[in-house]
Amino acid sequence: MADLDDDALPKPRRRGPRHPWRFVAAICVTGLALTLLSSWAAARADRNTEERLLEVQTKQAAAVLSTTVLIIQQPLRTTLAAQAAAPAAERAAFQHVMSVQVGDGETSLFVAASLWRRTDDGFRLVASRGSDPWLVPRSEQTGAILERALTSPTSVVDRLQRGERARIIYALADPTTGFVVLTERTIRDDRRSRVESDSAFSGIHYAIYLGHRTDLDSLTTTDVDPADLPLDGLTSRAEVPFGDTVLTVVTEPRYHLGSSLSQRLPLILFIGGLVLTAAAALVAFRLLWARAGAEANTATITSLYERVDTLYEEQRALSVRLQRSLLPHAHPRIPGMEVASQYVAGARGVDIGGDWYSAIPVGDDGFAFVVGDVSGHGVDAVAVMAQARFTLRAYLLDGHAPEQALEKCSRQLDIMQDEHMTTAVVGVGDTRTGEVRLASAGHPPPVLVADGRAELVETRTGPPLGIGPASYRSVTVRLDAGATLLLYTDGLVERRGESIDVGLERLCDAVRALGNEPVDALVGDGVSSLRHQDASDDIAVLALRRTP
Amino acid sequence: MARFSATSADGVCVVAVDGDLDLAAVDEFLETARSASAGCSALEVDLDRLSFVDSSGLGALLRLRQETTERDVGLRLVNMPAAADRLFRITGLLDLFDISSRQA
Repeated sequence: MADLDDDALPKPRRRGPRHPWRFVAAICVTGLALTLLSSWAAARADRNTEERLLEVQTKQAAAVLSTTVLIIQQPLRTTLAAQAAAPAAERAAFQHVMSVQVGDGETSLFVAASLWRRTDDGFRLVASRGSDPWLVPRSEQTGAILERALTSPTSVVDRLQRGERARIIYALADPTTGFVVLTERTIRDDRRSRVESDSAFSGIHYAIYLGHRTDLDSLTTTDVDPADLPLDGLTSRAEVPFGDTVLTVVTEPRYHLGSSLSQRLPLILFIGGLVLTAAAALVAFRLLWARAGAEANTATITSLYERVDTLYEEQRALSVRLQRSLLPHAHPRIPGMEVASQYVAGARGVDIGGDWYSAIPVGDDGFAFVVGDVSGHGVDAVAVMAQARFTLRAYLLDGHAPEQALEKCSRQLDIMQDEHMTTAVVGVGDTRTGEVRLASAGHPPPVLVADGRAELVETRTGPPLGIGPASYRSVTVRLDAGATLLLYTDGLVERRGESIDVGLERLCDAVRALGNEPVDALVGDGVSSLRHQDASDDIAVLALRRTP
Repeated sequence: MARFSATSADGVCVVAVDGDLDLAAVDEFLETARSASAGCSALEVDLDRLSFVDSSGLGALLRLRQETTERDVGLRLVNMPAAADRLFRITGLLDLFDISSRQA
């Protein structure tokens, strides 16, 4: 037996992907790219939504602001209308309207208001309210604004600055009557304004500038610290007509205006994508690892199989050699007898069977022969066969009768120990008389071929060998000149699905037709015609013909 | 392929053989019969569905006979098909077993 040491095994080859890490890296890169792309798309969609919503809110705020502008301008229009209706009343209408609108600037619209009328050499102050008007008579600033108002089709809005403090001036003129109304409105020093939670400005930060410019000097109102201006990030801008200028509103969302899902979606997609990418990479890595392992195993197993195949071949070769060595290559010469034999291995593959035959000259005129069968296959069966064969041979050479040889041999075999059933048919003959004594231990009956007839010999068989105390009986047949005695093992007659009687009959028919052939041909042709192609069992055949 | 099933009633265990009792089947047959007969006073091998028996199968029955004899368990082959009965006769086993043939 060849030894199965580790060195004899080829090292497992790794035939996995050449660069498993590259494969995993490619998955990671692809996954990350997809993740970033989807996150970016979601963020972009969210921003578009925000921009749209902010625009809507800004328009709402601008609309509110327009209303405020109307509220501020209304007292001026009312005053001028009243003055025009009653020019002689001079101050009465002005006083009436402004008495409710001028105050401290916190609860009232204006801190100061004045009514002017154009004269030939300038403007005359007709009336005024408010404690601290910045636009006083005979100042250039006042004159300029009054002139602007008279030439402007709309009201004139301007801004006055004194140190940190600022006021917005509104001037509206009636060119027909020459009246001009001037009002002053304070701007809070910090420019801050509270935002009512239900107002149009509740969702946004805003900064309102007078004019188109959005610098600090133009700032009139904001809800944030002016130091934080200008508003940045996502902003929207709207302009509201205001007299001869505009109010510019710049807004920024106070918080996310759209749905929270829309806001969180980019993050969710990003985290989800990272997790999926990591999972995919992990799975791919494990699959590659498992595959590499499986391939390594396959390589190992394949080489093991090859090794086992080799070992089987060696074992079979050994068994065949053992068996063949136990079967005679050439039969000893037995005077007056022609002997032929054949052994056919079954179509079984590895194992060989325990069939055997022997032909033994005994003394001058005697001969003995055996055909036996050890059930099962393999070296164990061959070993039992060897034991039975040499035991029987020894007893027969010693001159024992066939039934005695069987009985003694049976004692030396033990089916419990050997695990194989052994059957044998034994004969002892006399070449001078042709008489042959036959005894059988569970073996199929021999065939006597003579005078164109072929008949089974009723051997009065006893039990197989090795199953405890047993006695055997012998029968005597007479071989006439030219008669043939054919012994065989069950492989020649047994077929699945049919009674052994059918096989025995087929055997008799076959050898009857071959009765006149030379004994070698009888055996050869008989075996080839009877042997079933797929027969798994071995066949041993021995034929003895008394020389004609 | 052969199948084996074991049942027991009233201390009698029955192992039924279904299929071929050949070299490929003898180990499983012996194992089934051994475990089935543990604790039984008698073992019946039901051969009603036996389709084929070769010398290995006969050898297995002989080994089972030796084992049951040693353990003082009665062994009986029941429903023996005619073909098997003939084989038992040819191989001199008929007298070694308590056999009841299949009812016609």
